[in-house]
Amino acid sequence: MNLNRIILKNFFRNIKNYGLYIFALIFSVSLYFSFVLMSKDESAAEELSSGTMMSTGFIVGSVLLIVIIVTFVMFANTIFLKRRNQELALFQLIGLDRGRVFRILVLENAIIYFGSLMVGILFGFLLSRMLMMILLRIMQVELSVGLNFSMAAVGQTALLFIGIFVLLMIQNFIFLKRTRLLQMMTMNRTSESDTRRLGTGTVLMGVLGLAMVAVGYYFSTQLMENVSLIFLLVFGVLGLTIIGTYITFKFSVAFVLNMIRKSKKGHVSVTDVLSLTRIMFKMKSNAFLLTLIAVISALSIGLMSLSYITYYSTEKMVENTMPHDYVFYEEEALEFYEELLDEEGVDYESIQMPAVDYEAKTEGAISADLEALDFNGSTLYMNVVSDAHFGSVALGPNETIITGTPSVMQTFIDYTLHAPMTFVSDDYERSLELVDIKETAVLPSMVSYGSPTAIVDETVYQELSEHQSDEMQEQGVKMLHAIDITEGDSMDILNMMNREENPVFESKIQQQTGQLQASGMTMFVIAFVGFAFLVTSGCILYFKQVGESEEEKGSYNVLRKLGFSEREIIRGLSFKMIITFGVPLLVGLLHAYFAVNAGWFLFGTEMWTPMLIVMGVYALFYSLFALLSLVHYKKVVRESLT
Amino acid sequence: MILEAKDIKKSYGNRFNRTEVLKGIDMNIEKGEFVSIMGASGSGKTTLLNVLSSIDRVSSGHIQIEGADITQMKDKQLAHFRKNDLGFIFQEYNLLDTLTVKENILLPLSIRNMKKDEVDRQFERVAGELGIHELSGKYPNEISGGQQQRTSAARAFIHQPKIIFADEPTGALDSKSASNLLKKLQQMNVASRSTIMMVTHDATAASYSGRVIFLKDGLVYSTLRRGGRPQEEFYKEIMNTQSVLGGVGVES
Repeated sequence: MNLNRIILKNFFRNIKNYGLYIFALIFSVSLYFSFVLMSKDESAAEELSSGTMMSTGFIVGSVLLIVIIVTFVMFANTIFLKRRNQELALFQLIGLDRGRVFRILVLENAIIYFGSLMVGILFGFLLSRMLMMILLRIMQVELSVGLNFSMAAVGQTALLFIGIFVLLMIQNFIFLKRTRLLQMMTMNRTSESDTRRLGTGTVLMGVLGLAMVAVGYYFSTQLMENVSLIFLLVFGVLGLTIIGTYITFKFSVAFVLNMIRKSKKGHVSVTDVLSLTRIMFKMKSNAFLLTLIAVISALSIGLMSLSYITYYSTEKMVENTMPHDYVFYEEEALEFYEELLDEEGVDYESIQMPAVDYEAKTEGAISADLEALDFNGSTLYMNVVSDAHFGSVALGPNETIITGTPSVMQTFIDYTLHAPMTFVSDDYERSLELVDIKETAVLPSMVSYGSPTAIVDETVYQELSEHQSDEMQEQGVKMLHAIDITEGDSMDILNMMNREENPVFESKIQQQTGQLQASGMTMFVIAFVGFAFLVTSGCILYFKQVGESEEEKGSYNVLRKLGFSEREIIRGLSFKMIITFGVPLLVGLLHAYFAVNAGWFLFGTEMWTPMLIVMGVYALFYSLFALLSLVHYKKVVRESLT
Repeated sequence: MILEAKDIKKSYGNRFNRTEVLKGIDMNIEKGEFVSIMGASGSGKTTLLNVLSSIDRVSSGHIQIEGADITQMKDKQLAHFRKNDLGFIFQEYNLLDTLTVKENILLPLSIRNMKKDEVDRQFERVAGELGIHELSGKYPNEISGGQQQRTSAARAFIHQPKIIFADEPTGALDSKSASNLLKKLQQMNVASRSTIMMVTHDATAASYSGRVIFLKDGLVYSTLRRGGRPQEEFYKEIMNTQSVLGGVGVES
């Protein structure tokens, strides 16, 4: 019976204790490997017009991934070292010196590592095929996904994980060097909670933490009102919320829970024993970790929401700025393409529509906060078109409709329906009643230059253009030249028209696919990294719970001997799970909401649906880890009496 | 003289907040002795055992085991020393759940090059003496606490160390298992002339030994020798000393 054999046997019988650690490692490897593999997939890169964007996205993403993976694996390692310290102490007691113990650790880790590395690469390969299909689908590119296996990607992944392995060994070495034998033997018995009394300092800090977060939130809603101070404010918001979050975890949670505890005046139930009193002190000692989890959750939820908002709104945004399939800069170009389409036998409809520039007073129907944007005067530029060009619109001589206000402009302009709107040109003034507001633009942005467009009755249009000021008249009447394809546009028609020798044009379908690819790519990379973070932070909290369940085994035993049923204890623990997992999640979600709320309109046209979808999915996956922990607790409680 | 300790001091804490646990202890232990250390909780008995057994370092003083000063040894030398000369028994058994009883017992032998039949001979010897032979294929969680502690004792004896250190070995056992274990320890002490040093707060456990050293506030308070007296008489004397010390019924 030699030592190596005993150690190997010990290790393999212990392997189920390392289950989640191994899972996490395999997961990290697969994730990283598939990521690298995709970034090296040349066939896909060629196909995508945003190829360079893709590679930068992948580089940024992989750096973030590495940071997440390294932190995570090192954290998991410290937990496992702690768990195993008694064993390590025993090895030293029977006379192994630290060098030998270190070699044992190296051997074990090597088995775990290189095993996980190989399995992970295999899974990563399959995963990458699946992810590639998802990515191409998101970007709406038709391309069959082949089975490219890249040795370079294997090399890169192996290199990273060997690097991490070396880091871990250094960590283990320092642990062994630093920790005295006696400490190792008694480590299991010392718990990390310090049960000092909560003094007035805690109360003050508790209030301060919550107040800081609240002020940070308030500032975030004021960002757009104070554009000149925006940088100062952004840093203020970040500083206040992050430090506030830390203080909240360090003091406020304990403070609030202690209030609840005091209100019970000593009549603590089993739920309180298992949740309130424990969490109170655990939160304090884990404040840093929880802050990190909450802040990075907020970051990933926020970024995922924003990128999803962009992706979600892409079609609509293009629709809003491009009402027609093709728009041309000159009349000649329109004629050229009319001929081309005739030849090809494609049915189409041409549109030619004049528009005049006008100024409208920011009073009555329009209320604007123009100072925020350093605008001069009290007028707003408007395009005016006649209702004669729209079959579906018929307006009375005193009515008008506003269309296509860009979403950025919407944040500082408000319209009031059925109020008078006044067009001005030198001394001439004409008031009309605002009867409707439409999101969709009737003029493409290349004609409207980003100003809203008002539709008026034909007679009013004539009247307005006659009274146009000299200054405005000099610019001439703007003309829209456009074509709509009757049967609906397609890539085939675009490719047919899009030749180098042909005159230039703007195409809706081209803009849409271009933007979908760009936003889809960004969304994919962010979602990938966000998901990696979600899983790792979930695992970290789960590991913590596993550790705590072992420490608390004694309490369950006592409680069950006192006559509490398994169900009652589980109910108490469920409450504990809700707090431990729920509080960081809630804080993360709240942070993310305020972050998204502060700037979403720069990214798209719709906030709630995409944001809620992202939050929902995130919370769902996150709560899986709470459930997993609870299942583990159940097992521990059941076994505690035997 | 197997163990000789001179003026051992041990203190914990930092420069501003020091607690002196051992305040200068002198002690001599002869080869083949069975010594108990008693004292109220906080008297420093576990700390004394830890420093004597090289698990912890002294703040000042010297400990010589068979002429070798362990306070001067480097880490690697200490490991070598533990491997050859020391055995340990703890209150919470300290067995590896993943190994069978036999594997646990043989663990100290596995780190030296020994012939297989010699290893088996040693195992037969201790397992027979401690009455755990039929358990050899079982895992620790399949046997009782008393059996686990006897396994732990077998592990301490297997490599025939010069001294065995036992920290509250009966602390987690019921009285029957405890007396069973103590009788075995006593037998092994006589049969193989191994030296045993045991920390305990239990007067009954101490009455199995040949000498009891009482600690109070980090100093040796008194020493009782059993001599040729019957165990009951020795037990009464221990109880008397303990009540003078004020340590009756005080859990460690």
